[in-house]
Amino acid sequence: MRQLLGFLIAAVILSAIGFMLGSYQTDVYRKVLLWVTLALSYNFLFGIAGQVAFSHFTFYGIGAYAIVILIFQVGLPLPLAVLAGLAVCVALALAVAIPATRLEGFYLALATLAFAQLFIVVLDEGGSVTGSAGGLANYRLPDVFGLKVSGPAYTSLIVLLMLATLAILWRLDRSYFGRACRAVRDDAQAAQAMGVNVAKTKIIAYTLTSALAGIAGMAYAFVDNTVNPPIFGLQNSFLLLFMVIVGGSGRHAGAIVGAVLLYLMPLVLSPLIGHHHALVFGVFMVAVVLFQPRGIIGLWDWLTAKRLRRSRAA
Amino acid sequence: MNDFLELTIGALASGCIYALAALSYLLITRPTGIINFAVGEWSMLAAFGGFLLLSKAGLPYPVGIAMTLIAMFLVGWSTERFTVRPLVERGAPPLAPILALLGMLVVFRETVSLAIGPDPQPVPPAFGFGRLELGPLAGSYQSFFIIAVTLAVFAAVWFFFERTLAGKSFEAVAIDRRAAALMGINLRRTTAFAFAGSAVVAGLAGLLVAPNVSAHYLMGLPLAIQGFTALVIGGVGRVEGALLGGLILAFVEQLTVRYAPVPPGLAMGVPLVLLILFLLVRPTGLLRAREASS
Repeated sequence: MRQLLGFLIAAVILSAIGFMLGSYQTDVYRKVLLWVTLALSYNFLFGIAGQVAFSHFTFYGIGAYAIVILIFQVGLPLPLAVLAGLAVCVALALAVAIPATRLEGFYLALATLAFAQLFIVVLDEGGSVTGSAGGLANYRLPDVFGLKVSGPAYTSLIVLLMLATLAILWRLDRSYFGRACRAVRDDAQAAQAMGVNVAKTKIIAYTLTSALAGIAGMAYAFVDNTVNPPIFGLQNSFLLLFMVIVGGSGRHAGAIVGAVLLYLMPLVLSPLIGHHHALVFGVFMVAVVLFQPRGIIGLWDWLTAKRLRRSRAA
Repeated sequence: MNDFLELTIGALASGCIYALAALSYLLITRPTGIINFAVGEWSMLAAFGGFLLLSKAGLPYPVGIAMTLIAMFLVGWSTERFTVRPLVERGAPPLAPILALLGMLVVFRETVSLAIGPDPQPVPPAFGFGRLELGPLAGSYQSFFIIAVTLAVFAAVWFFFERTLAGKSFEAVAIDRRAAALMGINLRRTTAFAFAGSAVVAGLAGLLVAPNVSAHYLMGLPLAIQGFTALVIGGVGRVEGALLGGLILAFVEQLTVRYAPVPPGLAMGVPLVLLILFLLVRPTGLLRAREASS
């Protein structure tokens, strides 16, 4: 009950912020929310289930392209298009997961990397369906049951999406499934011996998080009102990985902190030091792995533990 | 048929470049289990070394190449010393060095783009831009040079692993790290040399391919992807596998571009499909690694 109240208050505050922003700030705010959503689900896949997959951002792209193609080329109404887009994401995720999760460690990384690159090749060569290299543009979100959703209302929708993703993953993390995922990550053989169905756990974790990424992608499609291949390139897959690691992998709070920090860092730094921000980014990443492997959230834990000890001593 | 022969030298040359990139991964992966995604960036660094020393400073070709490769040796050695060794000694999870190297990829790339600029820069070939014809086989001087150098490198590496004590110690570390350490093999030195050697091989690939593609700060990623595709095809266990994988990849790529009825853009997907197929059907690659017992 207290949790539900917490989510409600967060929803009200985060949506209220959306009503106070100008157009540029709204754009940044929506993207921060979407990155947080993505980082949360990627954190579950990478940090909790332990799968080093580079395909997460690709499913964001698949979701975005799917909804645009389904509405404006197939001609489905919006609710049906959302369901059909979700079905596309789940089907593709299963097609990747069933064979790929059998692969160990780096081989999974390589297979998903190849899948991510293949997606870009298909987009570039998709002719009028995907709009080739130029992508698809000049479309608007259709009315939902006669209502025009735009401006702060659409921002609120993204807030709800982010909170729903957090709630789903939060519950899952504390369920049998979440514990099974952690067990498989730490030692697959031991987990198997304890009666966990390793293959099924891996496949469900991959498919579920990829579907969540796909839904976030559908929301993204109407933020910029354009989808094109460069947006969904490998660069952003790496960025997503860095966000989770810098924030603290395996922790929901870590994913949130990492996503906000790394998305805003270039925006804050580039007026000050120009293109050097990319270098700062790389150095930051290496430093975190070397000196603070549990991420910023680990630093926070350490500080609070220290304060607790001091207050006890006093 | 003539068509095919025309294509052969070019395909062999690009296959050799992929093979060198694959070898660069293999030299690190085999003894340490680490996949170094920054291999492509090492090639890029060496290509810019070639630009600075050969095109700008105008040094003679052998001198410029030698100086670049020595620099690459130091780059590889210090990468291991400052980003990998601290993690291994602390007992960090096996993923940590891979992530640190992924971060180094960004550091290498952005340093070059800031120091030299984002424009492509020329690197001269070894013997000018002429064309050589050997009976029905024809290709540029550089293609023949790439094939010769690659074969020499693979012969040397093969000799090192099969015939020298130091090479045998690498193989021993690859088969069983713990047992190797107990037999008195210095793990730290082996790992450091694995990285240094890998950087030299990657650098060579960058220097050889640069006359065709120009030195550019984004040239690393395609090379890195082709390299590990070749590695997966050939198998991560054997040096010959890298060469075989590189050549197979290049021929499949060139033959689809030439003969298959698909648009050239889609042909770019062929190596990716090949990679996925191999990972699913035969993740050990064509050549299997030696086991401890045999």
